[in-house]
Amino acid sequence: MSAVQQADQAAPGSVPAGGLIGHRGLGDRSFQWLALAAGLLVLLILVLIAVTTTQQASSWFTTEGLGIFGTVWDPAANKFGALPFIYGTAVTGVIALVMAVPVSVGIALLLTEVVPFRIARPIVYVVDLLAVVPSVVWGLWGILVFATWIQHIYASIGSAVNGIPVLGALFGPPTSGASFFTAGIILAFMITPIVTSLSREVIATVPTIDREGAYALGSTRWEMIRGVVWPHSQGGVVGAVLLGLGRAMGETIAAALVIGSSPTITSHLFSTGYNMPAVIANQFGESTGVWRAGLMGLGVLLFAFTIIVNVIARGIVNRSARRMRGA
Amino acid sequence: MQRVRVRGVAAAGVALAAMALSLAACSSSSTGTSSGGSSSSLSGTLNASGSTFQLPFQQAAIQAFKSVQSGMTVNYGGGGSGKGRSDLASGVVQFAGSDSPIPSDEVANFKGKTVLYFPVFLGPITMSYNLSGVKNLKLDPAVIADIFQAKIKTWNDPAIKAINPGVNLPSTPISLAVRSDSSGTTANFSLFLMTAEPSIWKLGSSSTINWPSGAHAGNGNGGVAQIVKSTPGAIGYVDYADAKASGLTFASVKNSAGNYIAPSPSSASAAGTTVTLKPDLTFAAVWSSSPQAYPITYQSWDLVYQKQSSANTAKMLKAYIGYLIGDGQKLLTSLGYAPLPSNIDSKAKAQLSKIGS
Amino acid sequence: MAVVTEQQKAGLGEPAGWRRTKNRIATILMWLSFVVVIIPLVFVLYTVIAKGISVISWQFLTSPIPPSVAPADVGGIGPAVLGTLEITALATVMAVPLGILGAVYLNEYGGTNWLSRLVGFMSDVMTGVPSIIMGLFIFSIWVLHFGFSGLAGAFALGCLMLPIVIRSTYEMLRLVPDALREGSYALGASKSRVTLTVVLPAAVGGIVSGALLAVARAAGETAPLLFTILGGLSVANPNVFSGANTALSLLIFTNASSPYPGAQARGWGAALTLIAIAFILMIAARIVTARYARYQH
Repeated sequence: MSAVQQADQAAPGSVPAGGLIGHRGLGDRSFQWLALAAGLLVLLILVLIAVTTTQQASSWFTTEGLGIFGTVWDPAANKFGALPFIYGTAVTGVIALVMAVPVSVGIALLLTEVVPFRIARPIVYVVDLLAVVPSVVWGLWGILVFATWIQHIYASIGSAVNGIPVLGALFGPPTSGASFFTAGIILAFMITPIVTSLSREVIATVPTIDREGAYALGSTRWEMIRGVVWPHSQGGVVGAVLLGLGRAMGETIAAALVIGSSPTITSHLFSTGYNMPAVIANQFGESTGVWRAGLMGLGVLLFAFTIIVNVIARGIVNRSARRMRGA
Repeated sequence: MQRVRVRGVAAAGVALAAMALSLAACSSSSTGTSSGGSSSSLSGTLNASGSTFQLPFQQAAIQAFKSVQSGMTVNYGGGGSGKGRSDLASGVVQFAGSDSPIPSDEVANFKGKTVLYFPVFLGPITMSYNLSGVKNLKLDPAVIADIFQAKIKTWNDPAIKAINPGVNLPSTPISLAVRSDSSGTTANFSLFLMTAEPSIWKLGSSSTINWPSGAHAGNGNGGVAQIVKSTPGAIGYVDYADAKASGLTFASVKNSAGNYIAPSPSSASAAGTTVTLKPDLTFAAVWSSSPQAYPITYQSWDLVYQKQSSANTAKMLKAYIGYLIGDGQKLLTSLGYAPLPSNIDSKAKAQLSKIGS
Repeated sequence: MAVVTEQQKAGLGEPAGWRRTKNRIATILMWLSFVVVIIPLVFVLYTVIAKGISVISWQFLTSPIPPSVAPADVGGIGPAVLGTLEITALATVMAVPLGILGAVYLNEYGGTNWLSRLVGFMSDVMTGVPSIIMGLFIFSIWVLHFGFSGLAGAFALGCLMLPIVIRSTYEMLRLVPDALREGSYALGASKSRVTLTVVLPAAVGGIVSGALLAVARAAGETAPLLFTILGGLSVANPNVFSGANTALSLLIFTNASSPYPGAQARGWGAALTLIAIAFILMIAARIVTARYARYQH
């Protein structure tokens, strides 16, 4: 703080309140503690969430033991196996990613490589509009409009592939408007904005010099993307995809409304299913005892999965961004 | 020189609060009118949740009750019989609607406190279906049991055709519409199947059933009604009031006397005449022996703790539940429920005095 | 001296046919992905607007909630509108100042020490935690002891908003040039004074717009409210601190499972209201950003 010292000696006579070297006022110090406390609040909340939910779920872990990964969830028979929901979460997440990732990366590339800035702005607005639609409105539209329309398409596909070896197992009957596949589609709509914006951020850190070098060598835009942009940004895009997966796994309300609420493990993607956040939303209010502990336990598992996925994803994104900035 | 605009956020908050307060003034001024009619004026709020079977009746009764006790607010949250019992056990509601008595595995949640059962009405569970062109379907318990265990998978199955001669049944696959929440309707429907066809029905009787895969589950009776309404080829169990209000088509079901009876308030009342009333006022109206009874008739109770924490809550409960089993019974038939048989009603009224603090 | 052959000349000009085609296909696919995104967006917005606009009126927005069977022209969604406004306002009042303070810690005081990096990282991770977990958390520590209330819902929404506000405020604070800070220190101001009177006002545009976006997100959330406010009201509860409450998002969720046209119509009306609120907040955020953009590239 020698600059302050010099400036202070230069100023004639006046002594500014608080801020003299070596003496920090009470107000200044308490503000710092306040800011620190606010920052620590985040850690405190995360730790409290982990601790309280695990504590509430403890009777499920102790009663079921390894049976928590059982395949039957039947409150009446006191069986609380979580596998149907873990399966549903995984399946809908994968379907959502398969549909959302190509689209999101495509839009990100469109925005960074193809369109001039003036056209990019409205495109960004449209993608942001997608994010503004609340999850419950996606669910409302999903079940009242989309599912009633698409159930006929599912039924036609289902009867057409019935009996064919792999296709029949995946797309054959029973079919329902509310199903794994519908939930996956709605989730894809919902995670597109976040994957797009993160991919854009990552792709934008590719050095212009490398891009221009590729053009100077005569490559087409596509070749430049494949040869320059992709190698630089693939780590970051993977991170963005993982974040999208985390969001898809945790999305509760839209999934609860369109997934069909049937705890079964089946390969039929057009059939009704269930996933972790949806069963918590649907059954928590009426649950008691081990049932409630089981739902809390599903919450703990969901929390753990999303934390792990997010930590990995953020780590990858940060690392690739740092690498780019250094380059 | 830039003014400190951190206050901008606070200003937005004040604006939001002002908007909120003015909306509060608007909505609170449009509550029910007050009129003379009750000797003692009570004030306070009663919270309740539970059976969605009761939901249409509770909503109508709450509105009508405003002219009896304008100072009281009653909130009935629905959510299914299981939720109601669980909310009552944890103390977040003052009474709970439940279509089945407290099951043995939930008794411990009530920590030994005495719970009073107040029956409120009876009503049919319809077998609602969505088949264009098929208006008068007949079903019997054996066929129903096989449909809901996915043993019968298409509408033109020989078993269904056998009891519906002359009806043009399509080859559409049957989609099952069931409950996703813990439900008294489910409990009574499965009880009916277990009582009528114990050798065919293997899934037991409980508030939640392990339905076959491919069943589409919905939240509350309304949720099941919505699934049936929007899914061609669907069949589901929905209480009569909700089915009628949703415009669903439902089947006539064969009763224990061998007659195919359509669901209605009168066929439900017929079922009420033969019930065996236990001392705590619980009973089961399914599979009645009366020849004109609809076989899947069931009932609902409002559960209340005998000992209330405050005298005012006890008074409010006596007033509102007294209304439900008294003047409120007049609202029932137009909604699609059957009023309580008079012997049950008088016993329920006599039990009101037990609510104390 | 190199001789420029025909072959080399071709290489310096337009790319050969197949390469050009691949390039075209790639460009078409990229545009196609944008179109694929527009289609559902247009459908959703069109449906919500078309079905919602026929029920929306001032009376609709202020009347009590009628029974589900009631037709669309009876009653309205007043209690839900009030609930959303008051619960979101309370959550904002709790989360935004704490979020700004947290970002101040990360940027001004924390620097690169391990604690501040951990807090920053965990704050980012927390934005990915499913909102239903926040609801379960507040249910366990608050609702079980103090009952359902708008306050509990506000806590849950606040937990959701906090990391979002921290992250967006942090990004804005980072953009403020150090020259401003150093000039103030040179004049002898304390760190808190510098932060409060120089840095925050310099970043206020971005901070406010980030906060507005967080509010828009919170207003639309349902899962945190499921186990904290009970819902099911027919008459508004102006007291946000005690007693059950309801909200637009909760109403939409309940009515989405309803078979009655009246309840569904009210659901669409509530959806339109909710989207309008979120949209207004988003536009406000953009206006604030545009007006106060000083240090953004």
